[in-house]
Amino acid sequence: MDSEPRRGYLPLFGRIVLANAVVLLAACFAIFVVLSPVRISELVTDEVLIVTLCLVTLVNILLVRRAAIPIQHVAAFAQRIDPRAPGTRFPGASARSEAGELALAFNEMLERLEKERADSARSVLAAHESERLRVARELHDEVGQTLTAVLLQLSRMRGRLGDQLKPELTEAQEAVRASLEDVRRIASELRPETLADLRLASALTTLGDTFSRRTGIAVRQDIQTALPFLTDETELVVYRVAQEALTNVGRHSGSEQADLTLSGGIGHLALSVRDYGHGLGDQERADGKGLLGMRERAAAVGGKLKIGPPAHGPGSEVKLDVPVEALR
Amino acid sequence: MSSPAGLSAEMNAGGEMITFPRTPIRVLVLDDHPAVRWGLIQLLEDQPDLDVAAVATTAETAVGQAEHEGVEVAVVDYQLGGRNGLWATRKLKALPARPRVVIFSAFANDHLAAACAVAGVDALVNKGSLGDELCYAIRAVRRGRRLLPRVSPAMADLLRRRLDDYEQVTFGMLLAGIPCSMIERSLGVSGSELAARKAGMLVKLEALPGELSSSGEPAHRLGPGCMQLDFERILPR
Repeated sequence: MDSEPRRGYLPLFGRIVLANAVVLLAACFAIFVVLSPVRISELVTDEVLIVTLCLVTLVNILLVRRAAIPIQHVAAFAQRIDPRAPGTRFPGASARSEAGELALAFNEMLERLEKERADSARSVLAAHESERLRVARELHDEVGQTLTAVLLQLSRMRGRLGDQLKPELTEAQEAVRASLEDVRRIASELRPETLADLRLASALTTLGDTFSRRTGIAVRQDIQTALPFLTDETELVVYRVAQEALTNVGRHSGSEQADLTLSGGIGHLALSVRDYGHGLGDQERADGKGLLGMRERAAAVGGKLKIGPPAHGPGSEVKLDVPVEALR
Repeated sequence: MSSPAGLSAEMNAGGEMITFPRTPIRVLVLDDHPAVRWGLIQLLEDQPDLDVAAVATTAETAVGQAEHEGVEVAVVDYQLGGRNGLWATRKLKALPARPRVVIFSAFANDHLAAACAVAGVDALVNKGSLGDELCYAIRAVRRGRRLLPRVSPAMADLLRRRLDDYEQVTFGMLLAGIPCSMIERSLGVSGSELAARKAGMLVKLEALPGELSSSGEPAHRLGPGCMQLDFERILPR
């Protein structure tokens, strides 16, 4: 209630009362002053009275409606809000009316909710990432090392065995080697250490190359190497979105080619992963989780993610825009 | 008869085994994983021309042992509990005997290969390779050969950008496999100056995390996930 004195406009209640009062007073004025009470009975027939009442009601409705419409606008805007596309605000909200204040409060609430959401998404993602790191290390340090030891043992046995068993031993060696490579691949997918070593641009190049080699889908890369300063968190988000988007291309698009683009300037960074397949639709349904994950990641760093058909040509495109803080 | 096998084989066989050196190569094994260490010892001890003279689990203890045991070739894991394999390499190379160093690592990618070239490693062997390859590498480096995988031009370029002008020249020469003595002469620097420059470069290449790492992050820089050199076995799907 302490905001009451600061109000610089007539409250809605006051306006409605005022509008009604003005209409009623005007009616009274017309009846008692313009037409004096003496002449009323001869002039004012039932028809005139009814018409006048209707007129009064209509004027009243129009005035009240004018006061209520902005509130309906705010309500309609609230219904249109898409939680997946953060950053939308009620335009032109100002404290010059109740509806304006409502819009302002609504915008503030959106701000708080989005921040809250980004914070919780960030902590969930951080927990995920540290768990992935742990699993990757465990895989490498335990499983990988044990397989290495087995491989050494097999190599040693090779020198001692007769020729009869050698083909079988070779098979065993190959199997162990293959699993060792799988362990490494899985570990590398879990935790892109190239990112820590070589930073984003090179890590994305490596990602594109590896993806291309594994799936046979050609990846046309246009990756800007001179990038603005990025936090580890932003880099990881961009990397993961690219990784997920490429995975989707490989799984659902049916495309033989993909474009991986990264560009950055002062204050922003843009990633785009585009394919030339049969577009979105069933892809979105089939892998809702992956798309949701990308959205959450984007939200965690205040970025915007757009998934849809590209500007021209077939296929689909995942676009990520991340605001980048100015150099510290 | 496994430990003195090298010696006895040589005495028994006499003239027949001229390809082996007169005495077995004295090898140091440095790996922090017990199973791998054990596997390595077993494998190397089986070779008549190799003799596991010392076994260490940390980089710090390995250097003293190598000096004490007169080790000729050290087989070193890159990622160790404390200081890493490249730190050990630098310390080993500073010993008067300058033992040869074979890095035996799960992350034999070209980033590590470049770091190895700078640190003075003689051979880089992938942990996924067969034992024969490791034994071959040990014998080869003992004879003075250098077995480092080629660093891709893209990677070399990427890494070069982190270095200053002087370092870039040195880096290029080291990648090309030019011996340190020649680098010292052509750049007009002393051995200790070159060693200091190499240490600085390794830090910039983020291959010596324990040292002065700029990011202040502990170990595991070249961790799981670096691009592997051999992609052949990656399954579709």
